[in-house]
Amino acid sequence: MINKTRRRLIGGIAAAATTSLWSNFAFSVLKPEEKLKVGVIHMGAISNTGWEYYQAQAWRSLQDKYPDRVEVTVLENVTDIQAVERQFRQLAMQGHQLLFGTTFSQYASMKKMAPQLPQSHFECCAGIEAGPNLGVFEGRHYEGSYLTGIAAGRMTKSNILGWVGAFPVPQVLYSLNAFLLGAQSVNPDVTLKLVWVNAWVDPAKEKDAVSTLVSQGADVISGSPNTPVQSKAARDEGVWSIGNTGDFSEFVYETQLASFELDWSPAHIEAAQAVLDGTWEPTGRWRGLGDGGFIRMSTRSPELPASVGEELDMAEAAIISGELKPFAGPITDQSGTVRIAEGMELSDDEIRGMNWLVAGVQGSVPSS
Amino acid sequence: MTDILSILLTAIIAGTPLLYAALGELVTERSGVLNLGVEGLMVMGAITGFAAVFATDNLWLGVLAAGATGGALSLAFGVLAITLRVNHVAAGLALTIFGISLGAYVGKPLVGQSLNLTEAQFSGGLTQLPLLGPLFSDIHPLVWGSWLLFGGLWYFSVRTRAGLILRAVGESPRAADAIGYPVMSIQFLATGFGGVMAGIAGAFISVVYTSIWTEGMVAGRGWIAVALVIFATWRPERCIIGAYLFGGMTIAELLGQAMGLGVPTEFLSATPYLATVIVLVLISRKDSRMRLSVPAALGKSLDIKG
Amino acid sequence: MLLRFEARSKPSAAVFWLSPIIAVALSGCVAMIIFALSGLPPISSLVTFVSEPISSLYGLGELFIKAAPLILIAVGLAVGFRANVWNIGAEGQIIMGVVCAGGFALSYGGSESAWVLPGMILLGAIGGCLWASIPALLRIHFRANEILTSLMLNYVAGFWLIYLVHGSWRDPAGFNFPQSEPLGQSALFPTLIEGTRANASILFAPLAVVLVWLLMNRSFLGFQLRARGVSQRAALYAGFPANRAILVGLLCGGAAAGISGVAEIAGPLGQIYPTVTPGYGYAAIIVAFLGRLHPVGIFFAGLLMALLYLSGDTAQMSLGLPPSIAGVIQATLLFFLLSAEVLVNYRLRRGDRVAVETEAV
Repeated sequence: MINKTRRRLIGGIAAAATTSLWSNFAFSVLKPEEKLKVGVIHMGAISNTGWEYYQAQAWRSLQDKYPDRVEVTVLENVTDIQAVERQFRQLAMQGHQLLFGTTFSQYASMKKMAPQLPQSHFECCAGIEAGPNLGVFEGRHYEGSYLTGIAAGRMTKSNILGWVGAFPVPQVLYSLNAFLLGAQSVNPDVTLKLVWVNAWVDPAKEKDAVSTLVSQGADVISGSPNTPVQSKAARDEGVWSIGNTGDFSEFVYETQLASFELDWSPAHIEAAQAVLDGTWEPTGRWRGLGDGGFIRMSTRSPELPASVGEELDMAEAAIISGELKPFAGPITDQSGTVRIAEGMELSDDEIRGMNWLVAGVQGSVPSS
Repeated sequence: MTDILSILLTAIIAGTPLLYAALGELVTERSGVLNLGVEGLMVMGAITGFAAVFATDNLWLGVLAAGATGGALSLAFGVLAITLRVNHVAAGLALTIFGISLGAYVGKPLVGQSLNLTEAQFSGGLTQLPLLGPLFSDIHPLVWGSWLLFGGLWYFSVRTRAGLILRAVGESPRAADAIGYPVMSIQFLATGFGGVMAGIAGAFISVVYTSIWTEGMVAGRGWIAVALVIFATWRPERCIIGAYLFGGMTIAELLGQAMGLGVPTEFLSATPYLATVIVLVLISRKDSRMRLSVPAALGKSLDIKG
Repeated sequence: MLLRFEARSKPSAAVFWLSPIIAVALSGCVAMIIFALSGLPPISSLVTFVSEPISSLYGLGELFIKAAPLILIAVGLAVGFRANVWNIGAEGQIIMGVVCAGGFALSYGGSESAWVLPGMILLGAIGGCLWASIPALLRIHFRANEILTSLMLNYVAGFWLIYLVHGSWRDPAGFNFPQSEPLGQSALFPTLIEGTRANASILFAPLAVVLVWLLMNRSFLGFQLRARGVSQRAALYAGFPANRAILVGLLCGGAAAGISGVAEIAGPLGQIYPTVTPGYGYAAIIVAFLGRLHPVGIFFAGLLMALLYLSGDTAQMSLGLPPSIAGVIQATLLFFLLSAEVLVNYRLRRGDRVAVETEAV
């Protein structure tokens, strides 16, 4: 067995030498004529809807805003977690000073690499928390989901909503909980049926999920759609759909009750500007609606009554001003436990780590 | 009552690509050729069918493109497996990897695109027919096609001489050749037919079922189709039951969740595959049944050289 | 047909040695055609395609950690393939290796004990073996086709791992995301080459090559397995038990796969995710055939396949092509190699149609 102490010592010296060698680069401001090289790695393929699309819109906004100062290298279809580290390292070695990760599954690799590559700055979308040389940003999807829930609560006739769940991760859970809470805020009798597809993209299964939910009585369908499949399936079954993190009005204008989109450009632009100014620091940003936020309410159905539209506008303003908090108590979970009492609200950490379902959801989360 | 009917119908539609692919593979295997590349063929069929419909809004052009692609690729496989006597398993896997990769490669520009067809276009114009039109609005023409295919194939294998010859080739190529039948040509025809069907099956998923293209759409259905053929002991009538059973399994799993059964969802997701294993075991146990049903010369060049 | 195949009196050594080279050359031509069709200069693109991934020490390290699992699994699978036992379930066996070793790693990774890693390796091998024993037993007792049973079990294993990572293995500090907590230091393989990710587990590959070579060429069991591959009936008449061949054939692949699963989580991943294997189980089958089921051939085939994977990544950065091109080239290579192999035992002749021959079972 290799002598661990000696190996660690040598490794430590090597690391110290490397960091001191590179530290000259770490905090230098880019000269005015130098281009900022930005690298982005997508797990999937970029199309014109869905998660990857919004990630792409963000770096495109960088190109629009800094046409002469920023150069973006984009890699798509990097599906293996093992390959992520190699690709980011290669981008760093090729002189990219700002590197964006676009999904949670890249976070662990970026967290490991960021301290080792101080010549580049790392930002991970949907990462857990900021660390050395690594910033994270994520959207408060639940704010958008809550508002769409209000629309759903008003328009449902069966009082049963449906949610096509991709994976039981907190971002999905807090979104669907907020959806139901929003609906219950205007219609206390509403319940939500939940099925898990166990995939972010599986069009055939998503379509089956919509059929199943409808057969069980749901008449408003939401989920985490990356493609129009769910919305179209809902329309074909004759029920409403919600554009949760995606606006599919191009396909289902009448039947998409409400929608919201993601907008990561503030994160990208702020990070790029900071690197250009030499003031970049790793931070965690979790923003929702409002200026500089990552969530943007989008198209509503023409069939939505004007009164509901106004209600949505007012609620949106209230969320932005802080008056209306989607996760304000009292909130009871499925088992009857009161998660948050009247007058209090869930903390950010509690929301981000959510692993329970609100009372009224029929479905389950894997238990640990 | 309508609930059950609509669930049945959903299961049937979900099982249609399995039926196409399995019936095609059934014919191929009857001639003695084991084509494990069905998954790759389905992916290629899915992308070419989708691309053709995307470009022309014409359902039948999509079917043609998908079938032609599947047929061509399976013939290339045939050259390997039949003419060159390459190990069927190796050649089939090569075809699978090739089909999946090439499909992803050429499909890249179309990822996330969806078809916007009118009802008439979606049904290939058949909903506009005077009397028969309404038949096609709930049940897609390709689903009707699969029933026609099943009927034709059943008749072919049970009632026609050609069907008998096909079986003879798969049982004992040497004997068939001695009688004077063109064994290799028959195997090529059977393989090509299987490829065409697999291509159409793939196109069904991308064009009819979801009307969208992404990678990973076929999601292992090609492999289930291969399993189906054995499940059905190489008989068409069992194939159709199996296809709907497996098509229904995904629905059943989702229904189980929606109705609140307390089983972990991952277990439910695994049930179709477990079911295939169980059925395989049950079928294979009956030694005599297997021996009567397996084309004796299936994948005959399975011996390794060197 | 105007051409027919005529069996050679003895296998052609020239073709035997030349065919891999010809196959590689032809695949290179196909790659150049694809580059040209995409508007790239064919020759320089091909050079970039194959040389850039390994142009640095880090790149070489990446090559090794990519090739090692492929070689290890392929060598294990080849034991079975040569005996006509078809293990297509390596993917699931990798996962079950992770499932068995993972729990152990998570519980004991924090301790400083030197026994953690060996324990994980052992459990990984056992996990892979157990999973492979299912198709083996189903084949032995129920005559169920092992190709399909092992394949279906891949999906089952995948869902099992998802269940664990979403549930009891979830990282308590990970905000409920589907991943385990990072493995403790004593549950990770030490780095072998500083400055790269190549860790000690890559040594399993050459070790396995040697072991399997010894097994197949210097042991009686190996002889039995090879005999069964040439002629099942003859092997039975000689008294070589079919069941033993089936069991050994499947379990070798299972053990190898299980161990490489451990190498992934204790190596480049350092954590347990639902997607521990990027298709290594299937890729290894191709490597086995590319290497003509011979341990030394597999060693080189594994390096070549790994290079092609890395080249796929390079293709995106340097050539602007989608990474799926790697799979296209790999499959093409296999096609050409399989075709060229035929010429080892047969030659092409002009002439009339000849009576169809099938090999004896």
